Amino acid sequence: MGIDIKNLYVNYGGMDVIADLSLTIPEGCFFTLLGPSGCGKTTLLRTIAGFVQAAKGNIYFQSQDVTRLPPHRRNIGMVFQDYALFPDKTVAENVAYGLRARGESGEAMMKKVRHELEHVGLGHVMDRHPAALSGGQRQRVALARAMVIKPQVLLMDEPLSNLDAKLRIQIRETISDLQREANITTVFVTHDQEEALSMSDRIGVMNKGKVEQLGTPKEIYATPRTAYVADFVGAANRINVTVAEANADGTARIMLGDAAILARNTLTGTSRDGILIMRPEDLRLKPRTSAEMQGLMGRVVKRQYLGGKTSYKLALPDETLINVDSHGDDHDGFEIGTDVIATIDPSKAMVIAS
Amino acid sequence: MIRASDLRAPWLWLSLAALVALLVFIVYPVANILTASVSGDQNGWSRLLADPRGLTAILNALILASVVTCTCVLIGVPLAYVTARYRFFGKSIIALLPLITLVIPEVISAQTWLMALGNNGLITRFLRDIGIQLPTFYGWFGLVTVMTFVYYTYVYIGTVAAISGFDSTLEEAAQSLGTSPARSRMKVMLPVILPSILASALLVFTMVVGNFAISMILANRLPLLSVVTYQAAVSEGGAAPVMQSTFATVSVVMVMLILFLNRWIVSRGRFEIAQGRGARPVPITGWRGAVIGLAASFIVIVSLVPLAVIAVGAFTVSRGPVMQWGNWTLANMERVFINAPQPLVNSLIYAGAATLIGICFSALVSYLIIKKRNAVTPWLDYISSIPLALSGTVLGIGLVVSFNSGWLPLTGTATIMVLALLVRRLPFGMRSAQATLHNIPNSIEEASISLGSPPLRTFFKVVLPMMGPAIASAAILTWTTSVSELSASILVYSGGRETLTIQVFRLIGSNLMAYASAYGLVLIAVIIIPIIVATKVFKIDVFASK
Ligand SMILES: Nc1ncnc2c1ncn2[C@@H]1O[C@H](COP(=O)(O)OP(=O)(O)OP(=O)(O)O)[C@@H](O)[C@H]1O
Ligand SMILES: [Mg+2]
Repeated sequence: MGIDIKNLYVNYGGMDVIADLSLTIPEGCFFTLLGPSGCGKTTLLRTIAGFVQAAKGNIYFQSQDVTRLPPHRRNIGMVFQDYALFPDKTVAENVAYGLRARGESGEAMMKKVRHELEHVGLGHVMDRHPAALSGGQRQRVALARAMVIKPQVLLMDEPLSNLDAKLRIQIRETISDLQREANITTVFVTHDQEEALSMSDRIGVMNKGKVEQLGTPKEIYATPRTAYVADFVGAANRINVTVAEANADGTARIMLGDAAILARNTLTGTSRDGILIMRPEDLRLKPRTSAEMQGLMGRVVKRQYLGGKTSYKLALPDETLINVDSHGDDHDGFEIGTDVIATIDPSKAMVIAS
Repeated sequence: MIRASDLRAPWLWLSLAALVALLVFIVYPVANILTASVSGDQNGWSRLLADPRGLTAILNALILASVVTCTCVLIGVPLAYVTARYRFFGKSIIALLPLITLVIPEVISAQTWLMALGNNGLITRFLRDIGIQLPTFYGWFGLVTVMTFVYYTYVYIGTVAAISGFDSTLEEAAQSLGTSPARSRMKVMLPVILPSILASALLVFTMVVGNFAISMILANRLPLLSVVTYQAAVSEGGAAPVMQSTFATVSVVMVMLILFLNRWIVSRGRFEIAQGRGARPVPITGWRGAVIGLAASFIVIVSLVPLAVIAVGAFTVSRGPVMQWGNWTLANMERVFINAPQPLVNSLIYAGAATLIGICFSALVSYLIIKKRNAVTPWLDYISSIPLALSGTVLGIGLVVSFNSGWLPLTGTATIMVLALLVRRLPFGMRSAQATLHNIPNSIEEASISLGSPPLRTFFKVVLPMMGPAIASAAILTWTTSVSELSASILVYSGGRETLTIQVFRLIGSNLMAYASAYGLVLIAVIIIPIIVATKVFKIDVFASK
């Protein structure tokens, strides 16, 4: 069941938190809302759930307008950051709760409960109370509780942020598996880009109550449409530049001091000023020779050895600092103070409007 | 702002219904009191200014409250300090203190002190036999003594909590900077715990001002605000309630001022109390340990005197006012259970109904206030805390004045008895319910709703069970305080509707101490048995919400 959001406005006390937001989430899609704190992710999710009332606009589940439908009639499954398990009920009763609300009971219901709990690997803790479970187990119970009612839509608000790094990766996989198997339309909220990139079919990057860019993880990462998206998804070096020459093949030639660099050109019209975006891991370092004039001339001012890679900070001739991550053999081979040249594949660098 | 979606949910309608109930049973009586002092052709205020006895009564109440507050601080703070910081012989019996204040009704305390130190008291007679003449217990001496031993525990409890929460590393830091241990304590700890001490002292002040039972029994000819208020209410009878309303207004204003002061102190104090590691009590032995142990035990034993005297008195033969100490009988008990059991029955019914209704109302209204805010709920919050500013006497007057006749005549019914208990104890139930609800995250309810459970069903299936333990302990506290309520119920009761406390009070008035002891002992049993059952059988932490 797909979700369609049309010109949605949500406000708190007169202030628009979501303004004129439209979004289509296809059926069976794992959709992630990604954005910094306070951008309105939770608000949007809770509006889809029905806990927050839209001021204007409509929300459709498939073709049904649910904008005015109270949350308990929307047939959604929800997973919360703080698990929200009922502390006075056993694990089995927690999972059975939604089924009971739908009038089910008896052995048939218990069978579903058991099956769902076994599915998340918790068949052995059915009779415990939530207080006797670990954080990871609690979130699995919450997941089972949401899935057992076969919801039309699964909504999750930062379900992994209370877990430690290892567990986070485990539960991530559990969630992905369950979602694929049930082929259930899912909206997942996070501000963790790695989570977003690894789990999603599609990502919406949010900024100040608007979706700034919509696309597959690869599109979002490789071709950010704005400096904001580039910055938020992955690290990016941003340099204000003026395009010296716009080529017919869609590349732009940019002069940085005496050196030139080629980048993908996304500027339209006659505009020449833009921002050059380069990810630290796409830059390659070489010792500087006098002949080489393609790339960024710089001097190493900081070096951080991180095991699998080394992070360098380079000072460009105008003292702008950029970050370069070096991989491969001997990646920590440049001493502080060395003059280097950093090159980049023209398809990986790009100029976007400022 | 009220949205269309609010009208569909039940919450707004429930809020409005609760608001109507609170307006009728709290705001309307209070408004009646405030207006009745100047209604008609008589102005209570000019009569008050011309009445030296009335003015003296107000002054005396202030003096008494100040003196008792000081004595309570002098006893409560050191006792709290030694119990929080030291371990010594006999410390465990001090743990009984909170229990004692809660379970012994004030009327019984006054009675038993009178039986020990009154004109015909046990100790008075003993000392007289060996040639020592005590001053009369009626008046200042008795009032200050009894009130001190009844109220110092409030200071004790407040101070213990503050000292246990105090971060002792601060003290160590001060010491490491070169101040002596005693000086570091004064310099670092005192400012931090001072707000708590002040807050509990002010609480004592308001309780003394509003105190009815002890004042009535011991003031004798000394005019006191609460006594003259009651006397005005009795003497004005069905006539225009001018003077009683005037005195009641004075009391309300006085208590309100203190409550605002208290609130201000508490709100300032919140910034200063540092969360941290409390100091572990250190053992103290030798002669200092013995002295502290003895002093602490003495205070506790004195607090326990009422229980002992009443237990003995209940089984002692008497002829009229004369107690024949040493001669035992079951006749007094027979009277309580067989000849005149009505007060016992009344107490059980009225306190039971007040507890049941009060707890349901508090749970629901607190839920509305905390979780389902709308335009009405802040008013529910304000109005339901009004009874905190009303002494029992004031509340009783308000109810009588409002429901004596007119559109809702309740005088003489059991309803008005239940109402008096209910309104008086409402703030306690509300406070406890609100504290628990604050600890239930909103996501729990949303989880239930998202699983398809409608809001009302969610409240009953999820929220209420989670509030369960707190509700149970609040119910028991409401029960104990309702059973011992006197000052409001004595104004609204009519023949045949006496409760145990009213009965004890009347018997003391007639100087029938043996019968009073018997009813008193049953009264204490009615209070204690539920506490024991709750803690031992149901494992409820009764004092958790205190
Ligand atoms: N109940 C509320 N009343 C008023 N303002 C609110 C309320 N809830 C959220 N806001 C405001 O709405 C904006 C969006 O909040 P929201 O909770 O949706 O952010 P978020 O993207 O989920 O952030 P986070 O990553 O920190 O969870 C914030 O500026 C917040 O201050
Ligand atoms: Mg959020």
